[in-house]
Amino acid sequence: MGTLIAIRLRNAAALLVLATLLCFTLVVSAPGNVAVLIAELRTPKATFEQVRAVETELGLNDPLVVRYGNWLGGALQGDLGVSYKTGDHIGPTLGSRLPVTFTLVAGGACFAMLLSFALGFVGALWPGRFGDAFTRITALLGASMPSFFVGALLIYFFAVKLRLFPTFGSAGFSSWILPWITIGLLPAAVLSRVVRVGLEEAMAMPFALTAAAKGLSRRASLFRHALPNIAPTYINALGAQSGLMVVGAVVVEPLFALKGVSDFFLQGVLFRDFMVVQACLLIFLTFFIIVNLIADIGIMFTDPKLRRQGGAGT
Amino acid sequence: MTAPLLQARNLSVDLFTVRSALRPVDDVSYSVGQGETLAIVGESGSGKTVLNFAPIGLMPTGVVTDLHGSLRFEDIELVGLPAARMRRIRGGRIGTIFQDPMSALNPALRIGRQIAEVAELHLGMTSVQAEARALDLLKLVRMSDPESRLRQYPHELSGGLRQRAMIAIAVAAEPKLLIADEPTTALDVTVQAQIIALLKDLQKRLDTAIVLITHDMGVVASIASKVAVMYAGRIVEYGSVDQVLLEPRHPYSTGLIAALPRPEDKAGTLFRGLPGAPPIMGAPQPGCPFAPRCPLVVDYCTDVRPPLAPAPTGSAAACHVVNDVPHREMAHA
Amino acid sequence: MIMLRSFLNALRGLPRPAVVTIGVFLALGLFGPYVTPHDPNAQDLLMAHTGISAEHWLGTDHLGRDTLSRLVASARTSLVGMSLVLVIALSVGVTIGTIAGFKRGWVEEVLMRIVDVGLAMPSLIVALAVIGIFGTGYWNMILALALAWWPGSARISRAVAVGVMNRPYIESLRVLGASPARIYFNHLLPTTIGAVLVYATAEAAAVALSIATLSFLGLGIQPPTPEWGQMLVDALPYLEEMPMQVVLPGLVLTAVVVGFNLLGESIALNRVPVPLPRRVLKQRRSIATTWRKATT
Repeated sequence: MGTLIAIRLRNAAALLVLATLLCFTLVVSAPGNVAVLIAELRTPKATFEQVRAVETELGLNDPLVVRYGNWLGGALQGDLGVSYKTGDHIGPTLGSRLPVTFTLVAGGACFAMLLSFALGFVGALWPGRFGDAFTRITALLGASMPSFFVGALLIYFFAVKLRLFPTFGSAGFSSWILPWITIGLLPAAVLSRVVRVGLEEAMAMPFALTAAAKGLSRRASLFRHALPNIAPTYINALGAQSGLMVVGAVVVEPLFALKGVSDFFLQGVLFRDFMVVQACLLIFLTFFIIVNLIADIGIMFTDPKLRRQGGAGT
Repeated sequence: MTAPLLQARNLSVDLFTVRSALRPVDDVSYSVGQGETLAIVGESGSGKTVLNFAPIGLMPTGVVTDLHGSLRFEDIELVGLPAARMRRIRGGRIGTIFQDPMSALNPALRIGRQIAEVAELHLGMTSVQAEARALDLLKLVRMSDPESRLRQYPHELSGGLRQRAMIAIAVAAEPKLLIADEPTTALDVTVQAQIIALLKDLQKRLDTAIVLITHDMGVVASIASKVAVMYAGRIVEYGSVDQVLLEPRHPYSTGLIAALPRPEDKAGTLFRGLPGAPPIMGAPQPGCPFAPRCPLVVDYCTDVRPPLAPAPTGSAAACHVVNDVPHREMAHA
Repeated sequence: MIMLRSFLNALRGLPRPAVVTIGVFLALGLFGPYVTPHDPNAQDLLMAHTGISAEHWLGTDHLGRDTLSRLVASARTSLVGMSLVLVIALSVGVTIGTIAGFKRGWVEEVLMRIVDVGLAMPSLIVALAVIGIFGTGYWNMILALALAWWPGSARISRAVAVGVMNRPYIESLRVLGASPARIYFNHLLPTTIGAVLVYATAEAAAVALSIATLSFLGLGIQPPTPEWGQMLVDALPYLEEMPMQVVLPGLVLTAVVVGFNLLGESIALNRVPVPLPRRVLKQRRSIATTWRKATT
């Protein structure tokens, strides 16, 4: 298994390099003269000399390899360049915004896990009953409602009508509840289907009949025999969904006025602030790669066939 | 003789799925005494698996079964027994061995856990005691290197070892009855004999009765004391292993046994098969299900159901023709 | 013909709610602009934020535009955008996928690695990044989404193409002397397109959601073109006074996505046995009672 983890680590590293290349090319391939754009941003009706000054300042005349090297070297030290729009350094801004997005995604992921298991198990424990129909409809709606609509509904009912939670801002735990639900509902719906279908598939396997032959109840079979079998699939899906939640955050952060990375990314996209887009994209891609790596290792630990590969098995 | 361990009287099973309703077991009677082995022989689709698994509630999802008649096990009526009481019998008093040990074992759990689970459930052991019991059981089923086997997963074992693990699960609570559904079919020929020898050995040690579902006459001859031949949901012949294998009376069993390859057959001898095909399971038919393929068929075979009549000598056969004449006249009247 | 038949075969036996919802959506998308009671873009600030009335059945928005008309007209926006994205994404995907499946070897290796990278990134992030670099606008949005969606169809079509190429009749065609072009255009491409169209119906929900999301963020459909996501974001500042104007576009969009999701679910074959429904069991039991009478 050690070798398998080493392979995954190597692949992840290769993907990271690929991700940096991708981010770099995206900005290089941007249409229009970047230097003109920046110079115009600084002083409207910039002169030719001012544009030249910007070009040399940003090293835009260097060969691509040198530019990539400079950019990568800076990125590794946390220097992700300067926002074209505000002139602020991006690195520190990201540093202050990362915890917000992390809290949002981590909380959303916890909510999604709890809800997905609750929905999945209710359906699998009492198939064909009311609870089953209810969970199916919840999962379908959760997978179909756009997150901005979910957020708007939650704000209206819980913040405006019932005044249970603040509408926005970060005033402690209670202000996080609505954003967590908003961002976690879609992954919860998708994951609940993974749980539900996985449990059903496992219960249709011959080993479920063995469990029944041992005298186990359906409930015991579900928990002791079916559950361990869906673990690898679930972890895989959870990894993918956690990545997708960063996308969800692009909607949820502005909706709840959270100043996170996704909000920053959206500002960058809206104002075509290439450096911000590039920096956020790099952060996102790194996040996906790390989450997938963790998921892959998690799968290895839960799938006995992978765990023992290269080990002492016969 | 005391009451048999397991006794079926006029047992029928109706089976319902999304697609159809059928009766795979129709009016079947048999009994198994303590420590005895009954082999149930028949083609695939003859209802032998449903006969054994439906009454103890072992049916896959999406299938509902209704039982009629009676099936008594240790003075408990299994027909209509509440699910919770049935669960205490399953795994505890009745052990089960399945055909394919690979799919019957849970791929995500260690062998030791899967065995220990039964001891926890039925013998009230703690998990530590149960693990120790699992080790004893692996020794009992003569597994090599039992300590390390406990920690292994099913995919790490060979087919024969998997079936031994399956047997260890089945006998973990020292059941009085073992139901083995084609326990050797999925195994290599060399391993088959070992598994049969193991079953015989366990039977002697634990004084367990075995109901063996098989279509392998060699297995029947080596382990069974009684044989029931099933055809299209009915028992067509029922008797001691010597009677049925050496002097079969029902035309179906005669054909079945005649179809076996014999050592005196010359190379290139054609298979002696039965003409025709078994009926597709569905609604029960009034007459003898074998009539369309039967060499001895007479006109009323398709209308009047032949009872499984015990004969003064030999096995009981459900056939108008081979049973005595007065019987035939009775049916006519 | 093969395409049409395999498409129709796949669509047979679909859940009724999905067919109805998608049918209404398609009908509104095609004929919506001709049946709207008002001009969806006609402003009347004096009539802003009226509630339900005989003239404005579902009220008006902050600019006094008729909500019902805008909801109906949005179907066209959504349908056209969705179709454009899918057509472009599928054309690229099918081309790449069939070439990979047809050529095999290193061509397949290279193409599929690119597809893998594309699949590894969430579609909306790709679309957002592209819009961030190339700017907002209708066609930028369409192209950005198409760029995000082609890898999925490429993977599917490669799988289908490999399956087709492995069938014995392709080998016999080769032996008979059919040219590679003939095999590709007459046999491989039609079958693959048929199968990928099924995938497209399953992906339609996600595309529709993405268009609405981008519009909600102000990066997709630009005003004054009516679009559900944009209607919702326009009404959001007045959530407290006029919640209905937020809820309505959300509900309509959800209904469309539910329809496509149901369709996708029924296409994704789920062969797990389910417990026998009570109604069916009752029917089956009634059959069995007739046996008991006949045989005893």
